[in-house]
Amino acid sequence: MIKVAVSGINAVDNPGPGLGIIKGLRQGKIPVAPIGLAYDAMEPGIYLDHLVERAYLMPYPSEGEAPFLNRLLYIKEKEGLEVVIPALDAELPLFIDLESRLSAYGIKSFLPTKEQFRLRAKDRLQEVARRIGIKIPQTLAVTSIKELEEALSELSFPVMIKGLFYKALKAYTPAEAQQYFYSIAAEWGYPVLVQEVVEGEEVNVVGVGDGEGGHFGLLAIKKLWITSLGKIWTGVTITHSGLLKAAEDFVRAYAWRGAFELEVIAQDEDLYLVEINPRFPAWIYFAVGVGINLPERLLAAALGQEPERSWDYPAGKLYIRFTDDLVTELEVFQHMVTRGER
Amino acid sequence: MKLNRLAISEEGFIFDPETGNSYTVNETGLKVLKALRAGQSPSEIAEALSEEFEISVPEALRDVEEFLESLKRFRLWEES
Amino acid sequence: MKKPYQKPTIVKLQIGTLREQKSALAQRVRFEIDGVPVKDLLQKFGSPLFVFSEKRLREQFRYAKRLFETHYPRVEFSWSYKTNYLDAICRIFHQEGATAEVVSEFEYEKARRLGVPGEKIIFNGPYKPRTILKKAVEEGARIHVDSMDEILDLEEIAKELERKISIGIRLNLDTGIYPRWDRFGFNLESGEALQVVQRIAAGGQLEIVGLHCHQGTFILEPAAYGRAAEKLLGFAQKLEEAFGWTIEYLDLGGGFPSRNRLKGLYLPPEVAVPPLSEYAESIAKALLSNLNSRDYPLLILESGRALVDEAGFLITTVQAVKRLPDGRRAYVLDAGVNLLFTAFWYHFRVDLGEEVLGPPEPSVLYGPLCMNIDVVEEAVNLPPLSRGVPLVLSPVGAYNVTQWMQFITYRPRVILITEKGEAEVIREAETLEDLVRLERVPAHLR
Repeated sequence: MIKVAVSGINAVDNPGPGLGIIKGLRQGKIPVAPIGLAYDAMEPGIYLDHLVERAYLMPYPSEGEAPFLNRLLYIKEKEGLEVVIPALDAELPLFIDLESRLSAYGIKSFLPTKEQFRLRAKDRLQEVARRIGIKIPQTLAVTSIKELEEALSELSFPVMIKGLFYKALKAYTPAEAQQYFYSIAAEWGYPVLVQEVVEGEEVNVVGVGDGEGGHFGLLAIKKLWITSLGKIWTGVTITHSGLLKAAEDFVRAYAWRGAFELEVIAQDEDLYLVEINPRFPAWIYFAVGVGINLPERLLAAALGQEPERSWDYPAGKLYIRFTDDLVTELEVFQHMVTRGER
Repeated sequence: MKLNRLAISEEGFIFDPETGNSYTVNETGLKVLKALRAGQSPSEIAEALSEEFEISVPEALRDVEEFLESLKRFRLWEES
Repeated sequence: MKKPYQKPTIVKLQIGTLREQKSALAQRVRFEIDGVPVKDLLQKFGSPLFVFSEKRLREQFRYAKRLFETHYPRVEFSWSYKTNYLDAICRIFHQEGATAEVVSEFEYEKARRLGVPGEKIIFNGPYKPRTILKKAVEEGARIHVDSMDEILDLEEIAKELERKISIGIRLNLDTGIYPRWDRFGFNLESGEALQVVQRIAAGGQLEIVGLHCHQGTFILEPAAYGRAAEKLLGFAQKLEEAFGWTIEYLDLGGGFPSRNRLKGLYLPPEVAVPPLSEYAESIAKALLSNLNSRDYPLLILESGRALVDEAGFLITTVQAVKRLPDGRRAYVLDAGVNLLFTAFWYHFRVDLGEEVLGPPEPSVLYGPLCMNIDVVEEAVNLPPLSRGVPLVLSPVGAYNVTQWMQFITYRPRVILITEKGEAEVIREAETLEDLVRLERVPAHLR
């Protein structure tokens, strides 16, 4: 039994990828005992003991590296933790920074490097896109209202107003653009990015890079239906050759290591890179369901084994997300609150 | 008394079956809560705390009163 | 033997905030600074109290110096006076070999008073009064001009002294850092800098021997320094070719971050703040790969915060315990934003000066001022504290003992813990006498 800790077990209306990863691991050939890492005692994964064997509360990454490391070492001591698969944006920089130390303590992971992680910044997309031979929507970095006005005169409405790492709002008027500029600057700082809206199909590709320019499988999908929060509800597999080639070029160009997701807009033959996520997306179980068990392959890579690399999948497989209900005892909640674990 | 309805676990987890609210108390908080439920006065509780723990009676009394303030804020205690 | 006490507490559980809290709290105790117990310091010197560690100051300086010198052969550190100009602190850096970087008449005079010779002073800043500017020229200071008006002043001074004056010029440039500090010096990309240089050359009174820039403060992007170095070097080569000057030094200014937690940054400083080595590498790489056949220009760094911030602590004491109407726990401390000017931009580390048991709760830390803005921390997780509990705030070594204000109270003692572990006063607490000494009462009001 390999003890694997997985975070992002917050299967709520804006779900983390954790439960999808765990379902994949459980369906794989490597026997696993999944341990859930949670940032709140009410994260649903804690209560799903058929998926999550043991659950631990974590301190926030913002509280410092030492508490975070100590908590992981405590879990290591109690459970014999061997591998950790972090799945949330906010904790990734910490895990990347701690990777070698954790490894020295016997907790393995398979993560992008610091330099790779930095590629997700929106002001780096241009260079990534150029290097892998695709486009990006025209994007201007602005730091003042004057620059915003100049940028707006070059683009036509609507435009996207984006933070460097998070948040994207669609503005239809100069007044809206200005309002979003202020709110994003206040929350995420400068620069704020102003981006043209490219009409086309929003498509995504997920994969795991081997760190040497190859990969352990890719899957391309199109989101058919999204929720009001912009989260996938139904989707379909596609085999867009240009998209898959771009993903392979991306992995090769940067020798990407670990999980990633590219968000792309396809307009006829043209592809526009919109976002790079240095982790699994919340719909990662889709890959497992079509026979490309990326979570298991990532686990194998973390363990130093040679994972499978085949990634034939048919177009037209459907992904359906659905809600479910569970009735349980208050006791688990009590334990999480008083002991921080169950 | 509202305190009587609370489900109190030895781990310090408190559940109010009427409102659905949950609370946690620490070791001394648990003692104070139980003592209040048993009808002891704040000064009696302060003396008991001082007996068992490294604390003077006046300091303990101030803290018990602060604890009562919290209970009032949570609507778990009414001035009798 | 009685059991250790904790204040009885009851906490209502709020979904969405129920993370693990004990791991972070266990880290939050600091009984001593460099081996001297916090309790002893308070007893001997009173509260609040600024404490500096000589050991940390020297170690950090030596570390930074060694680091840059292993990457580039000619490096000079110039101590940024405005970051902390207490005599004892400046002396430590000067002993270690730092020159002085000053930005005002007061700082210039303070450096001279400390025995720093003119040629070891860099004189920066947007306003240098005429008399001190002339004195600095006479004493051989490196003057970095900020405006055309200053150039006119210097040309006049050159005529008065009947000699040519060597100067440096301050440039502002695009290195990808926001906000751009473009109010200082002359802009490189727009061509302004080149025009000004042509004007200087035509005047025939001044010659340029150094280029200076300073991109901003708490810059978290090491690559920006590489871009700055490359641009300065390119400009230097242009000037040497066009005007026959020798650009002796490139001054990349400061702005290197400390391990402080900038507000608005989610990640802890251990992760968010790149190590100094990345800055050294970035600068050295840019210089070495663009030098052509030229001699190595001297690289000057005006690092302040990165050298002093983490050597400074403020010990303060809980003076009152409160519950706010919204239920939050609040404490009134004897030190507020009057002493901690940097509290407006940074979340300090808050350590307990003694062990306090009990469940942590988000708490507000207020200062002693009778003003609503006097907030040291909005929400820091602390166990229930009683009056008299000491807190140790850090890092506070940069800017606080220069930007502090006297408003309604006295400024406290500042002590230095020496390398031998002795606590020495380096600034006495202010008294009423100190504060009223400069006041004069007209006769009719006596």
